[in-house]
Amino acid sequence: MSVDLKSRAAQAVEFAQQAGAEDAWSTASQSRDVQFEYRDGNLEKVKDTTSQSLGIRIYAGGRYSSHSTTDLNPERLQDFIAEAVAITAALEPDEYRRITPEALFRNRPGDDLDLVDTSVQALEREQRIAWCRALDEVAHAHGDVISATSGVYDGTQRSASASSNGFLDEQQSTYCWFGASVTLRDQGDKRAEDGFYAGGAHVADLPDPDKVGQKALARTVSRLGSEKGPTVKASMVVDARAASSLIGRLLGPANARSVQQNRSFWTPLMGEQAFSKTLTIVDDPLIKRGLASRRYDEEGISARALPIVQDGIVRNIYVDTYYGRKGEMKPTTGSPSNRVVTPGSHSLAELLSEVGDGVYVTSWLGGNADGTTGDFSLGLRGHMIENGEIGRPVGEMNVTGNLRELFSRLELVGNDPYPYSSTLTPSLVFSGVDFSGA
Amino acid sequence: MKRREFLGGAAASGAVLTMPAFLSGCGIQQAMSVADKTPENPFMEWFGVDQATTARVMSELSANGADAADLYFQHSRTNFLTLEDGIVSSASSDIQQGVGLRVVIGEQTGYAFTEDLTLPSMLAAARTASAIASGSKVVAPQAFSALGAGDLYKTSVPWSDVGIDQKLPLMKFVESQAKSMDEAVEKVAVYWADQDERVMIATLDGRLVTDHRPMTRVTVTVTARRGEEVQSGYSNIAAREEFGWYTEERLNTMVTEAVDRTMVLFDARRPPAGEMPVILASGASGILLHEAIGHGMEADFNRKGVSIYSDMIGKKVAEPFVTVVDQATIPRERGALNYDDEGNKAGRTVLVEDGILKAYLHDTISAKQYGLQPTGSGRRESYRYAPMPRMSCTFMEEGPHTKEEIIASVDRGIICETYTNGQVQIGAGDYTFYVKNGWLVENGKVTAPIKDVNIIGNGPESLKRITMVANDARLDTGGWTCGKNGQSVPVSQGIPTVLVSNMTVGGENVG
Repeated sequence: MSVDLKSRAAQAVEFAQQAGAEDAWSTASQSRDVQFEYRDGNLEKVKDTTSQSLGIRIYAGGRYSSHSTTDLNPERLQDFIAEAVAITAALEPDEYRRITPEALFRNRPGDDLDLVDTSVQALEREQRIAWCRALDEVAHAHGDVISATSGVYDGTQRSASASSNGFLDEQQSTYCWFGASVTLRDQGDKRAEDGFYAGGAHVADLPDPDKVGQKALARTVSRLGSEKGPTVKASMVVDARAASSLIGRLLGPANARSVQQNRSFWTPLMGEQAFSKTLTIVDDPLIKRGLASRRYDEEGISARALPIVQDGIVRNIYVDTYYGRKGEMKPTTGSPSNRVVTPGSHSLAELLSEVGDGVYVTSWLGGNADGTTGDFSLGLRGHMIENGEIGRPVGEMNVTGNLRELFSRLELVGNDPYPYSSTLTPSLVFSGVDFSGA
Repeated sequence: MKRREFLGGAAASGAVLTMPAFLSGCGIQQAMSVADKTPENPFMEWFGVDQATTARVMSELSANGADAADLYFQHSRTNFLTLEDGIVSSASSDIQQGVGLRVVIGEQTGYAFTEDLTLPSMLAAARTASAIASGSKVVAPQAFSALGAGDLYKTSVPWSDVGIDQKLPLMKFVESQAKSMDEAVEKVAVYWADQDERVMIATLDGRLVTDHRPMTRVTVTVTARRGEEVQSGYSNIAAREEFGWYTEERLNTMVTEAVDRTMVLFDARRPPAGEMPVILASGASGILLHEAIGHGMEADFNRKGVSIYSDMIGKKVAEPFVTVVDQATIPRERGALNYDDEGNKAGRTVLVEDGILKAYLHDTISAKQYGLQPTGSGRRESYRYAPMPRMSCTFMEEGPHTKEEIIASVDRGIICETYTNGQVQIGAGDYTFYVKNGWLVENGKVTAPIKDVNIIGNGPESLKRITMVANDARLDTGGWTCGKNGQSVPVSQGIPTVLVSNMTVGGENVG
C-alpha cells in the first residue's frame, strides 16, 4: 500500500495538459478488501484483493468529459488520457462545465477525523476466523436453524486527487464489519430469514460478535409465523434501521441535478415549512470515525456541516458545481456524507406505547418512489402494535402515499439512532398511513 | 451441455418466441490445441499473456489442491454520453481490466484478483486465492484447449470504431422527436451507453473460452408540465447489439413509449388498496417470473436449503399451462451469453414445465453437489467477483387464453404495464415489484390509468394463482439489471398476458 497516489494523480493531470486540456482533475484510488465467510461450522469463502484505478475529468476548449481506468500501465495510461482529450473535442461546448474553483477547496478542514485504524490493517486470518466462529455459534443457537452465514469484511481505502488549479490532497479510511444472516424453518416450505451486521472505521467501536450474532438470530426468530397484515389506515412506527432507508428515499431528489432537470418534488420547497417541525436533518461530513466522513468531496469542495431540514423547513439541498451554475444555486456539495436526523427524547418502547395500535416496520421489501412527485409505495415486514406493545409478526403488506405528506405527519422521533449506517436515524412515528394487506 | 439436450430445448420453445439464429448458434464445442493457435489468439494478445504464462499462474493457483480453479481475464470499455437541455456536453468512458483467480474445494472458495497483468502480480494473487486450500489434494492443470467461439451476438463494427460524431445525431433525433410529440413536454434528457467487453476464461480442466460481448442501452427521460403539476417518465432499449441496431423506427417506438407513459400520469391515480386480481401485461411483466420464482431457483440458495423452493423439485407448482424458462441463447438479448463466466456453455433451463417444478439454475459448485451438469448459469459482475448462479433471459411460454378473455374475466382489478424494480425474500418467498404505469379494470373493462403502486405476493402462492395465460408472449426490450449479493448483471425477461387471481396492491383511500 505504499504507492504514491498523489504523484500518480498529478502525473495524469500533466498527461492531460500535454495533450491539450486547459484544465484537469484526477483522482487515483487504491483499496485492500478482505472478506471471510463462514457457513454452518465451515469456512466457505476467503477473498483478499488489492484494487487500483484512476479517474480524470478533462476541460478542453469549453468542453468536458470524464474517464476512468484500472489499466495503470504508464504508456497505455498516457495514450488513454490523450485519446480522452481528443474525444472531448467532439462534444458540444457548455459554459457551465468548469473546474472546481479554488475558493471552494481552499479552506479544507484538517485531518483529525480519526478514520484510519491501524489494527484493521493488521488483522490476521486467525482473528477473522475467530469472529466468524463466534458469530456462527451464536447464530445457530436455535433448534430450527437451517443455515446461517457469518462474515467479516474489512479493508482500507485510499484516494488522492490533483488538479491543474492547485488541488493536491489525499484521504484514507479503514472499515471493519461483521455479522450474520440466519434462515429458520417456518410453516410449510416457508423459511424465516433476517440478519444483523455491525461495522465501523475502528475495530474498537465494534460490539461483541456474540451480541451481533444474537441480534441476527433474534431478528430472525421474531419473523417466525409471520402472516399477511391487514388493509388499514393506521399509525406507523419505523425502527431506526428501516428509517435509514426511508430518509434516503426522502433525500433522493434533494439535489441540484434533479431540481435543474425538473425532476424533484423538492423544487418548490426551498425555505418552506415542507415537513413536520419534528424533522431536522443535517449532512455532517466531520463526525469523528463516521462511516461517510471526509474532508472534501469528489469535486474537492471543503467539507462542512450542512443543514438540510431544520424544524421541518428546507434549508439546503445537495448542489454540485455544474448543476449549481446551471440552475443558479450556490454549490454546497454534490453528494451526501453522514446524514444525521436529530433524535428526540423517547425510547422505542415509549414510542410504541404512545402509538397504542398500528404497524411497526422493521424492514422494507422493494417498492420505489417517484422523485418528481414524491409518490411512493413500499413493501414492508414488521409487527402489529397491539396495546402499545410489539405484537404478531406481519408481512406481505405495502405502505403507500406521498413522501412530502408522510413527513408532514411525522409525529415523534426516537432517541435510538441506528449507528451502523451513514444515515444516522432514530425510530420514527407517522400518523394516518395507508397500508394494504389482506 | 450436450448437443441433444440443447436441441431438445430449442424444439420445445421454438413455437413461442422468435429466435431466428438459435440453431445456428448451437455448435458442438470444437476443441483445438492452443499450442497451434496461440500466436493468432487475439484474446491472449489483448491481455498480454501467452499460454505458458497462463499455465504457470494456473499451477500456482492449484498448488495447494483444487476441485476446480479458473482465471477470468476481462477487459471492458464502456462509453457514456449525456444530452440535457438540448446539448451533448458530457461524455465519459470507463476501462475495467483485470484477472480474477478462483480456487474451489468442495463448497469452499478462495478468491483474489489483480489489475496488473504481469506475471509477478498474477502469481501473488494466485498464492492469496490458493490459501484456502490445505494442500491435501493436488491436481495437475490440464493443457488448454480453446473452445469454439459462440455467435449469439457477433458484430460487424465494434463499439470502439463508432465515434461520438455518429452517436450525437441519434441523441438529438430522440430529443427532437420527444419534444415534438406533446406541447407539455418541458425537458428531455437522453442517456447513451455502449460497451465492448472481452473475456478469456482458463480452467483447471483445460478449457480456454473467449467471448466478445457487446452491449448498448439508450434511455430517454421526459418531463412535462400542466399548470403547476410536473410529471416525468422514461423508456429505454438495450441489447447485445451494434450501432446499426438504432434505426429511426426503433428509436421512435422508445420515444413514443416515454412520452405516453409521462402524459398518462397527469390523469393517473392510485388504485384502492388491498387484495385483488392482477393482470400482467405482456413483455416487461416478466419481472414476476424473475422475482416470484427465478431467484428462488438459483441453486446456491437451494444447496444451502434457504430457498422456499428447496424441497419442491418434481412437485406441481402451477396449472399445466404454465411453463417458465431461463435461456441465455436467444441471440442479441441483453441477458444472452455464449458461455457463462465459468467457461461453461450457456443454455436453456426449464424451471417449470407444464406446471411441474423441473430444475434449478446451477453453477459448477452446486452442479457438483447435486451430481448434475452445470446449466451454464455461473455469472459474475466482473473480474472482481466470484461467480454464482444467475438468471439470463427468463420468460413464460404462451398459454391457451387471449388477452381479451383475461380482461373480460376481471370484475375489479388492475393491469400492470411498466415497472421500475422488484425484490424477493428467498426463504419466505415474499416478493414485490413496483408498477409505474397501469390501468384499473372494472366489470371486465379497462377504465382508468393508475400509477406508482408496489405489488406484493408470495412466490409459490402466486404461481398457483396464475389462472390464465394468453398467447401473446413478448420479450421486453428494456435494459434490466439484476442485483444479487452486491453483484449486478444484465438480464432480460418476457411473458404473455397473465392473470394472477389475487395479489396485494399498494393503494390509497383506505377506509
